[in-house]
Amino acid sequence: MLDFFAIFSKGGIVLWCFQGAGVAESFAAPVNVLIRSVILQERSGNNSFNHNSLTLKYKLDNEFELVFVVGFQKILMLTYVDKLIDDIQLHFRDRYKNELEQKGAIKYLVNDFEFGDDFDQLLREAEESSRLKDPVVMRTFTQSLKSQKTVKSMIETKGGDKGKEQGGKKNKNAKKEEEVAGAAQSKSPPTSKKVVVNGNQDLTKEELIQRNREEMFRKMAKSGTATRSPKPQKEKEKEKEEKKKAAKAKRVWDNCGTNLKELDYSDKVNGSQDAGLAREHAEPEMHLESMAGDLRDVDYESSEPEDEEEEEEEEEEVERVVVTEASKTGAKRGGLGGMFGMFKGLVGSKSLTQEDMEPVLDKMRDHLIAKNVAADIASRLCDSVAKKLEGKVMGTFTTVASTVKQALQDSLVQILQPKRRVDILRDVMEARSQRKPFVITFCGVNGVGKSTNLAKISYWLIENGFSVLIAACDTFRAGAVEQLRTHQRRLSMLHPSDQHGGRPSVQLFEKGYGKDAAGIAMEAIAYARNQVFDVVLVDTAGRMQDNAPLMTALAKLIAVNTPDLVLFVGEALVGNEAVDQLVKFNQALADHSMSDRPRLIDGIVLTKFDTIDDKVGAAISMTYITGQPIVFVGTGQTYNDLRSLNARAVVSALMKA
Amino acid sequence: MDETVSLDLAVEDFSSEHDIKTLIEEMNYQDPAFLIGIFVSLAVVIITIVLLKYFLGSKTTRNAVLLVGLCDAGKTLLFSRLLLGRFKRTQTSIAENSAIYKAKNERGSSWTLVDLPGHESLRPQYVEKFKASARALVFVVDSALFQKEVRDVAEFLYSLLTDSVVAKNAPSLVVACNKQDIRMTKSAKLIQQQLEKELNTLRVTRSATLTSQDGSVGGAVYLGKKGRDFEFSQLPMKVEFMECSARGHQGDEGDADIEALEKYLAKL
Repeated sequence: MLDFFAIFSKGGIVLWCFQGAGVAESFAAPVNVLIRSVILQERSGNNSFNHNSLTLKYKLDNEFELVFVVGFQKILMLTYVDKLIDDIQLHFRDRYKNELEQKGAIKYLVNDFEFGDDFDQLLREAEESSRLKDPVVMRTFTQSLKSQKTVKSMIETKGGDKGKEQGGKKNKNAKKEEEVAGAAQSKSPPTSKKVVVNGNQDLTKEELIQRNREEMFRKMAKSGTATRSPKPQKEKEKEKEEKKKAAKAKRVWDNCGTNLKELDYSDKVNGSQDAGLAREHAEPEMHLESMAGDLRDVDYESSEPEDEEEEEEEEEEVERVVVTEASKTGAKRGGLGGMFGMFKGLVGSKSLTQEDMEPVLDKMRDHLIAKNVAADIASRLCDSVAKKLEGKVMGTFTTVASTVKQALQDSLVQILQPKRRVDILRDVMEARSQRKPFVITFCGVNGVGKSTNLAKISYWLIENGFSVLIAACDTFRAGAVEQLRTHQRRLSMLHPSDQHGGRPSVQLFEKGYGKDAAGIAMEAIAYARNQVFDVVLVDTAGRMQDNAPLMTALAKLIAVNTPDLVLFVGEALVGNEAVDQLVKFNQALADHSMSDRPRLIDGIVLTKFDTIDDKVGAAISMTYITGQPIVFVGTGQTYNDLRSLNARAVVSALMKA
Repeated sequence: MDETVSLDLAVEDFSSEHDIKTLIEEMNYQDPAFLIGIFVSLAVVIITIVLLKYFLGSKTTRNAVLLVGLCDAGKTLLFSRLLLGRFKRTQTSIAENSAIYKAKNERGSSWTLVDLPGHESLRPQYVEKFKASARALVFVVDSALFQKEVRDVAEFLYSLLTDSVVAKNAPSLVVACNKQDIRMTKSAKLIQQQLEKELNTLRVTRSATLTSQDGSVGGAVYLGKKGRDFEFSQLPMKVEFMECSARGHQGDEGDADIEALEKYLAKL
């Protein structure tokens, strides 16, 4: 049934693998995709992954640095796989404990891990255990409750309520009867409950006792022959009932819900997104220096507040969530816990369990949310870090809190590192050598700073000796074309054409208002190719991600013109909305593209970075959701305020208490 | 009032005199033992600092050879071949592999061979961790896909070469052009020429910001000589290009063609 099973070390050496019969292709490619898209992007909270037609389930063993991966066809929906992986992991560890405890990577190369027989045996056991569950047999009519009722009892009368009131014990008995009757279908209990209530009212006490006795006899007679499941099921349901009643009694409606498990009444459904807003801040130095060459990194140290006017268009209103930040001291105290407990925690090697990490992870999650990381992303990140650390053996003199913090910091840096090379200047040079213009498209919602940052980027490109054509494809907003024309005039003044070999350094291509944006973009690119411009910057109108016709128009513009770079402009002030915006934009671009490899968002421009202090979480949310790097960071409203992302500075700002 | 004040003053003077006297007496009393104690403890501290610096000094820490390169270049397989000569199936590494390697020369010297992950999100932190202890760098290049990846390879090589720690230590660099067993692969010479051209361009695009950066990770190193085209011979470290094939020409069971690399490593 399985396509393959592989055990390999975190360093990449395959210790043992099994390839199912009849499977032609090697498993290396799907496993590599799994590693790159899930484990390395910190999405390992959910341990299954779909790739083409395969489902891959995996498990990390953090003590011995191993990864266990199993792959099977997606349509099969095998149920025993989770248990199989756990069994195999325990078995493998026990069997090869000695070899795996040696130091150095040489242990993976020297030892031959002959696991085939054990694997076959475990697989057989798992398959058999999944077949053992008997199919549920329907009750016959004589077994059901309906056959015992008199016609009179089935007539609903007003006295039914009284019957309910009488009923604590009677209801319980009635419920017991239903459960005893076997695998209950969901519809029958409520109706039969009502009927039985009425029945109770009409029957006398002796008849009721008689009926109960009959039920019990029948139950005992049945239990000799049929399945054992009703009894444990009944017990389980009784327990659930009691627990439910007990839990109901315990529910206190004040603000003391510190234990998240108590408050979690959902069935492990993805948590809701609360609205959160916080502001991020980082200040550059404002001086008129040249912007030639690569962009400087975002400065983190500076801290001068600045009055800034709000951008014109409306901004979405999100309510502020006041969260008391968990301080570092709190986390440390949690790790100590008593005089001798402190020593026990510090010295000696113990492996991390879920319970150890939970309080620390909760605090880290709240901390991240307070720093404007989207709530959904923060919880997924914490789950992934928990998976990465589970079972890891801590060294001496390290507390749980410090290990978790370090792991979280590493994973944040990993997320912010670009997955591909980000070097716009080099790519523009490449396009110039091929005698075609390099096209960059800016898209985003209203009022994030597309036009402003477009002007900044064109300033930077002109400083580096490229000629720029600005295509005004925002044909909707009043004054959009004039705004770009003003920018173009100012940039031409700053870089007169005689310095650029007699050619204008920047030019505006516009066709007025009300026209089709995709058509204007196409004409602009053709014009640039004829006039040998190096870069075309396409400015589009801001649009909400829910506005279907506008999203279609944007998707059409991108699909038709196939720009070299599609940049999503997002402001750093956004909170949980960032997730929604990016997901819907990507979805729209994928849906409306005709080809099978649609152009999605290639990079992110993070704007208004100077308005947030250290609440830099929006950077994390955006890169996590798309997996694309942050290409530019806008840190102000003048031409010089353009930086590149410094991952370490952002993460240290994020982890600061 | 004055009397009382003067009286107080007198009392105070007297008491302070008394205090000073007792202090001097005490100091004299404690002088030898106290002062000797101070001197001894200071000496111990200084000696421990000196010893620590000596033991953790740069002499013994630079004994690692790093296998670096892009993702899928073949570093982990090369690692396995160099250590044991065996073929092992590999996946994308998410952690480093390190082991002691005994060089095949008369001296029998041994150092640590470290295989770093090549994936873009892991690369910077692992390079950061291991660059100070590098005695030599083996930069593994996928010769078959080189034409497509030339800019990525050049950028990684550029960031390595301009790193301040690497530029200071100047570990010897060998560029191993791997996957020579595939049919249409570039030769080492061609790869060298193309890398020189790319690095020349990168030097120009990146060099203008060197004045504005404040010595952060990007480094303030200018590769090669100004005014002349970049060549690997201009670098302060020894650079060599060689071809190798970790998989080997006889399929999975045969030996790898890594003799040149082994000879080079033996000379270290």
